[in-house]
Amino acid sequence: MTIALPVKRQLWAILGFAIAVLALSAVLKSDYFELVLTQVLLWAMLSVAWNILCGYSGYFSFGHAAFWGLGAYTVALGMLHFELSPWLTIPAGAVVGGLAGALIGFPTFRLRGHYFALAMLAYPLATLYVFQWLGYQEIPLPMKREAPILYMQFTNPRAYVALALALLVISLLISLKVENSRFGMSLFAIKQNEPAAEAAGIDTWRWKMLALMLSGALAAMAGGLYAVVLLVVTPEAVFGMLVSAQALILTLFGGVGTLWGPVIGAVVLVPLAEGLNAKLGNVLPGIQGVVYGVAIIAIILSAPEGVYWRIRDRFANRRAEPAAPPVPSAAIPVLPREPRAPVGDGLLILRDVSISFGGLRALDGVDLAVPEGGLYGIIGPNGAGKTTLFNVINGFLAPQRGTISFAGEMLIGLRPSQVCRRGIGRTFQVVRAFPRMTVLENVTVGAFVGAADDAAARRMAATALDRVGLSPRANALAGGLTTRELRLMELARALAPQPRLILLDETLAGLGHDDLDGILGAIRQLRADGVTVLIIEHTMQAMVQLVDHFDVLDHGRLIASGPPETVVRKHEVIEAYLGRKWAQQVNEAAK
Amino acid sequence: MSMKLTRRAVSKGLVLSAGALAFPAIGRSQAKSVKIAMIAPMSGPWARQGQLLRMGAEILADDVNSGGGIKALGGAKLEIVYADAGDSTEKAKNAAQRLLSDEPDLAGGTGAWLSSFTLAVTEVTERAQLPWLTLSYSDAITNRGFKFVFQTSPTAEHQAAETLPTALKLADTATGKTPKTIGIIQDNTASPVSFAKPLREGGLDKLGLKLVVDQIFTPPLSDATPLIEKVRSAKPDFLLLLTSAMPDCKLVLEKLDEFKLSHGKVPLVGNGAPFGSPELLKTIGPELLEGLLFSVANWPIKGQEDFIERFKKKTGEPFLTQDALCGYGEPAILVEAMEIAGSADRLKVAEAIRGMNLTTGRAAQCFPGPIKFDEKGRRIDVPMIFAQWQKGVPLTVYPTELALAKPFWPSV
Repeated sequence: MTIALPVKRQLWAILGFAIAVLALSAVLKSDYFELVLTQVLLWAMLSVAWNILCGYSGYFSFGHAAFWGLGAYTVALGMLHFELSPWLTIPAGAVVGGLAGALIGFPTFRLRGHYFALAMLAYPLATLYVFQWLGYQEIPLPMKREAPILYMQFTNPRAYVALALALLVISLLISLKVENSRFGMSLFAIKQNEPAAEAAGIDTWRWKMLALMLSGALAAMAGGLYAVVLLVVTPEAVFGMLVSAQALILTLFGGVGTLWGPVIGAVVLVPLAEGLNAKLGNVLPGIQGVVYGVAIIAIILSAPEGVYWRIRDRFANRRAEPAAPPVPSAAIPVLPREPRAPVGDGLLILRDVSISFGGLRALDGVDLAVPEGGLYGIIGPNGAGKTTLFNVINGFLAPQRGTISFAGEMLIGLRPSQVCRRGIGRTFQVVRAFPRMTVLENVTVGAFVGAADDAAARRMAATALDRVGLSPRANALAGGLTTRELRLMELARALAPQPRLILLDETLAGLGHDDLDGILGAIRQLRADGVTVLIIEHTMQAMVQLVDHFDVLDHGRLIASGPPETVVRKHEVIEAYLGRKWAQQVNEAAK
Repeated sequence: MSMKLTRRAVSKGLVLSAGALAFPAIGRSQAKSVKIAMIAPMSGPWARQGQLLRMGAEILADDVNSGGGIKALGGAKLEIVYADAGDSTEKAKNAAQRLLSDEPDLAGGTGAWLSSFTLAVTEVTERAQLPWLTLSYSDAITNRGFKFVFQTSPTAEHQAAETLPTALKLADTATGKTPKTIGIIQDNTASPVSFAKPLREGGLDKLGLKLVVDQIFTPPLSDATPLIEKVRSAKPDFLLLLTSAMPDCKLVLEKLDEFKLSHGKVPLVGNGAPFGSPELLKTIGPELLEGLLFSVANWPIKGQEDFIERFKKKTGEPFLTQDALCGYGEPAILVEAMEIAGSADRLKVAEAIRGMNLTTGRAAQCFPGPIKFDEKGRRIDVPMIFAQWQKGVPLTVYPTELALAKPFWPSV
């Protein structure tokens, strides 16, 4: 795969940044400024590490000091007890940080949003007390007069600038790689809509864990070098709230979820705070905290997502939307379908599926069989349990009773991403898009499941977009689409990994007459391509034209089943939709 | 401070800091003055201690300069450059590095109060071969083989070893009975932990003391009841109190009173200057503090009466404490060293400190025992000082020849 142009540009930017830092370091005349420059780079690295988890996936952590501190103590204790050089213990700290990430993530990823952020707060506080209890209140790194370089003790402070820069560049390259791979796109999808990401086949648990481990490893490396630079490690200095807050503040200031945001934050705020501290610390004590506070308030007010996004949005708005790439439909070969074993009495079979929420029986002994290649419709009044049925099939909910099998395999107990992996795609009643991603990216996220590599995923996404007729809008941001386009995009996302069965949840809702035809056409085309379709719909008229079989749900029970024209005449169905009175009138009229 | 001044100071500071970032180190040149540095926490949780240090240093600078400056240097004026160590080791280290860059001709320095700050600061000053004095008493500071760091306080190890035998001696002289049992209540921060460790590891046995209450808590303490209940049931002959935060200390003392164990029913012994702070008096009041004994590295002693009065008059503080005393005394040692060396060259000043043995004069007056350092930079022949709260003032009661009051052992 060749590197895309933006990535190439970013690589040049990183190189330019590194040269600029080295040039600045060469020009600076004082050890003090070299020290501050080193700290800028280290804090930037911590923020980049924080951003890999928190910026991309949206899982905010108030506890990155845990990793920073573990890295610092790995270096300090390695030197104190085992005479180990930081050249060894800084990489070892990365391993410690990664393992800590795994240990922390395992219980903590059960939580979401604010709960996750607050739980993360506990880890550095707990480790702080542990290290106090262990008697490591103050660990000075011994001065090595014999072999200073072996122990990373340089007389020239530029050496520390170079080391910190090297680590930061590594972090930026990793961050760039993450951003431009399925890793980053999965995290980005999780951030914007985790259930949609899971339903699109993304193993959210795995990517979150990997992100936390990677983030922990990088933060620990930065903490390790910080110990070498500071030469004294205390629990308060490395596990304290200030460390976690620093990562958060710098990234929020610079721009969350961007490569350069954390660096922008560190380059602006660290010298500003230090400069104010230097000049005013003994005149107006605590002014540093005030500046930080004011900076955060100003940023929240003027650019809630950080400086970078603000600039980018303004810049992007001035330019016209980039033209869609020429994707002639003829050029895209329809991918050959793998021959599939014929399925006996149905591709999807539900037996006695029941689930209740409190006293409400949302599904009550539902039996359903959908043959391969069928186009089945599920209808029923509001609250009948239609969406619940889909949630049970694709793994968002686990039924309390009954079995679900797909192509002969039991689905119960599988997570949505695993269900998706087995060939079931779905769309949502309320479209769950990733608004900050382009249409193509949205669909690519869905394609990862069925693709061997990222390039294949992109090709499959392009094919899917072409199938639903959305290719011309491939590069538009999903946030700016019309309802019809959003529905089509979601359909393409579900189609991209070439599922055998697709669950469409009120795909036609809220569409005008003209829009309706386009989507109906797309669905018919699906069936023609051999995809089995199960669709929920209110719009009876459209459905009668479309499907070849109706299943009617009411109060969680299946009350009727059969070809559309017979089902709609059934007494129970009319009663369920229109009430008993109507049903009686219809009956009398029929007599 | 008036609003107007504040605003002006802020905008000036902004301009200055922006300038400082762009143009490193524009040194101020002032003929005929000698510069020494003081780094101390002047903002953050330890700001008060830093301010006290500074008060002492400012009085010293006045004294030196109004007395004709440094004589061996032709009457050169003494200028003390202050830097804020803030609330973290990183800021303390930055302050040291900044001072060294901005002031290339420093003759020496003192600070940074908290031992972890001092550890970080001296990593910088040692490499610059700048003689550095500190009142921080962590053993680690002078255990690193540094050549330019001088500790004016007895080390923590030394204090821990000396405190209890001296307390027992005091009890014996006052009551004729030697205590047999001891209780310890402490928090788990750095200095109490290192203080109590050797005691538990055989130190108490050697003194013939039985440990009947042993309570360690993590600050902040929310309720002292469980701790004091243990004290009430075990009734130790005295209680060693090692708390580093005032609110915790207050809770313990109030709870002792509530359990009717105050007023000498259980004599109290503490360690460290915070036990003699004016803030303690303000929050706890003289009644509950009456009789509380504490060992401390340095405290106002006989011969300083004049200085104590001047300090109180100048600052409005109720009494002189260790911080202000060392804030005066440590720069005074540097001044004496310059007088001896006849030079403000840092290497020569350091050499003078290594060789000095002062028993009289401005600097010697500020410290118990002679000003004389061993090869590690620790002082030799330093007696442990005990002070005791008597009628709302903590007064030095031991050693007797330096005492400002007579000790009493609160009787049971």
